[in-house]
Amino acid sequence: MRARPRRLAGSGGGMAAAGGEGMRTEQEPDSDGGSEELVLTPAQLIRSLEQAWLNEKFAPELLESKPEIIECVVEQLDHMDANLKRAKKGDLKVSVHHMEIERIRYVLSSYLRCRLVKIEKFFPHVLEKEKSRAEGEPSILSPEEFAFAKEYMANTETYLKNVALKHMPPNLQKVSLLKSVPKPNLDSFVFLRVLERQENILVEPETDEQREYTIDLEEGSQHLIRYKTIAPLVASGAVQLI
Amino acid sequence: MDPAAGSGTLWAGLRRRSANGEGGRGTRRVRVRCRRGPPGCRAPGTMEPAEAEFLAEKELVTIVPNFSLDRIHLIGGDLGPFNPGLPVEVPVWLAINLKQRQKCRLIPPEWMDVEKLEEIRDQERKEDTFTPMPSPYYMELTKLLLNYASDNIPKADEIRTLVKDTWDTRIAKLRLSADSFVKQQEAHAKLDNLTLMEINTIGTFLTQALDHMYKLRTNLQPGESAQSQDF
Repeated sequence: MRARPRRLAGSGGGMAAAGGEGMRTEQEPDSDGGSEELVLTPAQLIRSLEQAWLNEKFAPELLESKPEIIECVVEQLDHMDANLKRAKKGDLKVSVHHMEIERIRYVLSSYLRCRLVKIEKFFPHVLEKEKSRAEGEPSILSPEEFAFAKEYMANTETYLKNVALKHMPPNLQKVSLLKSVPKPNLDSFVFLRVLERQENILVEPETDEQREYTIDLEEGSQHLIRYKTIAPLVASGAVQLI
Repeated sequence: MDPAAGSGTLWAGLRRRSANGEGGRGTRRVRVRCRRGPPGCRAPGTMEPAEAEFLAEKELVTIVPNFSLDRIHLIGGDLGPFNPGLPVEVPVWLAINLKQRQKCRLIPPEWMDVEKLEEIRDQERKEDTFTPMPSPYYMELTKLLLNYASDNIPKADEIRTLVKDTWDTRIAKLRLSADSFVKQQEAHAKLDNLTLMEINTIGTFLTQALDHMYKLRTNLQPGESAQSQDF
């Protein structure tokens, strides 16, 4: 169920952040049916932005896009910026707020930059996955990222054709980018911290002599394991990559 | 082999011995070029020490301000009010900044004390496994607080040495266990009491080494339809 941000709750005057009251995110009654309200305080919003940032940093593949978090964070930052512009007095308060804005902005741009690096690295697979996504499944690309990926693919194809393929013999002029660009390696190892207790996670054997076995993930523990086994847990937020 | 000028490129000169193993005349200079991007946009799967420090800066620490200010409503939470002489808790990034502007005095966290750290260091040396650390960011906090507020912390040098000793012991243990992990080709490891900085120190190398070994192993079987991933 996707929650879409509607509007931010009104702010207090002066320097108050737009919250203290929670932010309401409602779902539109669209094809998903039903409606769900998710109330996040700004502190929780920043916390989930940082979680998304760390997950994206350490996951070998491109994770789900989180448009609602990004939109809300941008709204908060813009709101605080507008507040700061209005109130010129109180040098210390202004600089403290400014510092916090810079910190949040750093996390946000690092997150978006990380996603762009992955899109550029795996562009045919990302587009393929997006094309073959079922209705109602969450998208891994935001609309802007999708446009970027398509443009990037078109540009790469044109460049390859003009620089190399045009000059090849006619039967060698086709290159399938999907086959030539390396896929993300889902078997890489990742470090994770457990947020919600999980039972019976299957650990596949490395060598032929080993058996597979199951482990339980205690809350608060840290592990080193292959990404493939725990990928659904990352998507659901039960573990955090570190 | 002239070095090309380029902003952001770092040239390292390596001296390579000639084939017959002699130094001196036979050596040749090999220039290695490594390009560093701005932090935050390196290859996914890595974390800079600066970024671990960034996360550590969110920890709360007590300060005694010498100014007064009413409550600040930050996006991440409320702080204050600030009254001269009364201790208040703020995140480390703010504490360091206020200290640099000489607006406050820092109070070291209660674990940053010579006896406690000696105990921790001895405990760490005794045990084979990792002991829990007083703070998940002990290394970063020590570095930050001792760099910017060493005048507020009694016996700062001793504390620095003690923390470094503990760190060295833990890294040595980590290296040993990473070594045995790779040798025995295990599939899973539990590393509960490791802090983020320690994981980062060895994390990238370890995961990349494991990836390489996995690729080598899966490409051993010839008849498999495993697609070659690299050119």
